[in-house]
Amino acid sequence: MARTLMRFTGVGGQGVLLAGEIFAAAKIKAGGFGLKTATYTSQVRGGPTVVDITLDDDEIYYPYANEGEINFMLSVANVSYQSFKKGVKPGGTIVIEPNLVTASDEDRATWNIVEIPIITIAKEEVGNVITQSVVALAIANTYMSAIDKQLLLDTMLSKVPAKVHDINLKAYELGEKYASESMA
Amino acid sequence: MGTREVISTGNELSAIAAVDAGCMFFGGYPLTPSSEVMHVISDLLPAKGGTAIQMEDEIAGICCVIGAAMAGERALTATSGPGMSLKAENLGLAQMAEVPLVCVNVMRGGPSTGLPTRVSQGDIKQASNPSHGDYRSITLCAGNLAECYTETVRAFNLADRFMQPVIVLLDETIGHMHGKAMLPTVEEVEAGIVPRKTFDGPAEEYFPYECGPTDPAVLNPMFEGYRYHYTGLHHDKNGFPTEEIETCRKLIQRLEDKVMAHQDEIESNEEFMCDDLTGEDGEVLIIAYGSVSLAAKEAIRHLRADGIKAGLFRPITIWPSPATRIKEMTDKIKNVLVVELNIRQYTEEVERAASRLDIEGLYKVNGRAISPYEIVNKVKEVF
Repeated sequence: MARTLMRFTGVGGQGVLLAGEIFAAAKIKAGGFGLKTATYTSQVRGGPTVVDITLDDDEIYYPYANEGEINFMLSVANVSYQSFKKGVKPGGTIVIEPNLVTASDEDRATWNIVEIPIITIAKEEVGNVITQSVVALAIANTYMSAIDKQLLLDTMLSKVPAKVHDINLKAYELGEKYASESMA
Repeated sequence: MGTREVISTGNELSAIAAVDAGCMFFGGYPLTPSSEVMHVISDLLPAKGGTAIQMEDEIAGICCVIGAAMAGERALTATSGPGMSLKAENLGLAQMAEVPLVCVNVMRGGPSTGLPTRVSQGDIKQASNPSHGDYRSITLCAGNLAECYTETVRAFNLADRFMQPVIVLLDETIGHMHGKAMLPTVEEVEAGIVPRKTFDGPAEEYFPYECGPTDPAVLNPMFEGYRYHYTGLHHDKNGFPTEEIETCRKLIQRLEDKVMAHQDEIESNEEFMCDDLTGEDGEVLIIAYGSVSLAAKEAIRHLRADGIKAGLFRPITIWPSPATRIKEMTDKIKNVLVVELNIRQYTEEVERAASRLDIEGLYKVNGRAISPYEIVNKVKEVF
């Protein structure tokens, strides 16, 4: 497998960190290498947050995504989208939450901009906004085919309390459904 | 050597390592980006019968660690640069009174409160002499996730061997990155623990600071029947203050020599892709440590793909510096580039060790990491 670079961006407190940890851990369980780094400001709640995820079959040294090499980005906050979109390779996919993020025509010419209302799905269809990180996880994996689905689900379930397993499985299935529809 | 795979962050691994190495006491104050060391060890220690205390500030944090160490426990504090500044005076006390402890510093941007959530290596010089006076710092610097564990373990062993504080430097990148680490087993770690030396003869014959010219003090745990005095003043064999000329000279000379005469027990380096460097023209030696060495390794892959023979020399023991090995390497290889997240803090040590003033440098001090491509471009630009 060539190196897969993904970037999740939002604002502090939205839970974008967890999806990164799940990806890295699942890749390691599959026998490869995965690294997650998070960059945030000292304004912990509300400041722009970026999570870089590097997955590879070979050892990864440098843990951040090189600017311009990212294959896939997902953004649920406009401030973060504007700050970090340039890291994505031209032609790469950027999934945005259309209620919170605005992409320009120029952006749409540069990248494959996909609108999925991630937070609305989590809040209204799943029923708990906190599941947005799992909706995001499902969307990213559907686009990138980075990790075997069952392994990713098992890893996800190992990181969330048992009492919310069902709701997170529902979040994953909905994320996958919306991503598949957007690809069709 | 048995190994186990652990998926974790550098800060968490450092806390786990301390507990596996027999640390039974943590005292500190949470400070970004080191706070997770305290969070994790606060969960682990009570379950083992140990104690973790959040004190009112960083100064009190190290003071209670000194107390725990005087009582015979392996003890840890963790902080970042601003906390190191506050702990400096008591790090000096622990050097003078020869109290073994470990201080983890997860470096962030400075000076002062600087850039709390951003990466830096600005505390390199501070680590060599955090407080006033003459002594030799032992400072270890983790360059990957596994070393956050193994260097913390080594720090506890060195602290007890040399009876002084040992600083473990992580940086924000290493402390917070989350991935795979291959670690020694807990059994291996436990088998490697050499307990602090103690005196078990008659109490009236116990003189804790009466020792050979390159030996550390022998401090029995307090409250176990051996009485001695403990002070930051120059002191005699019993630990009582003195201004006697020879006693004062010998004491400070011994603080220097107990480390420098045994550097072979302390020094640790990695030489990455250096085996085929023969000293031919065009070869490049990169010197980097901590998280920057990860970017350097990736840069070396790119440089070699472009036909440039490059290798990395990475000091793991930062202080005392591996000056002899730096001299050997820099005598052989002409093109030397030091890469660090500060302005020349270790470059000046490399210049001293190498007796050369033509060492190139790549520095960054804006709280952002140095990328592999920046290193590649710098090498192509200057050599």
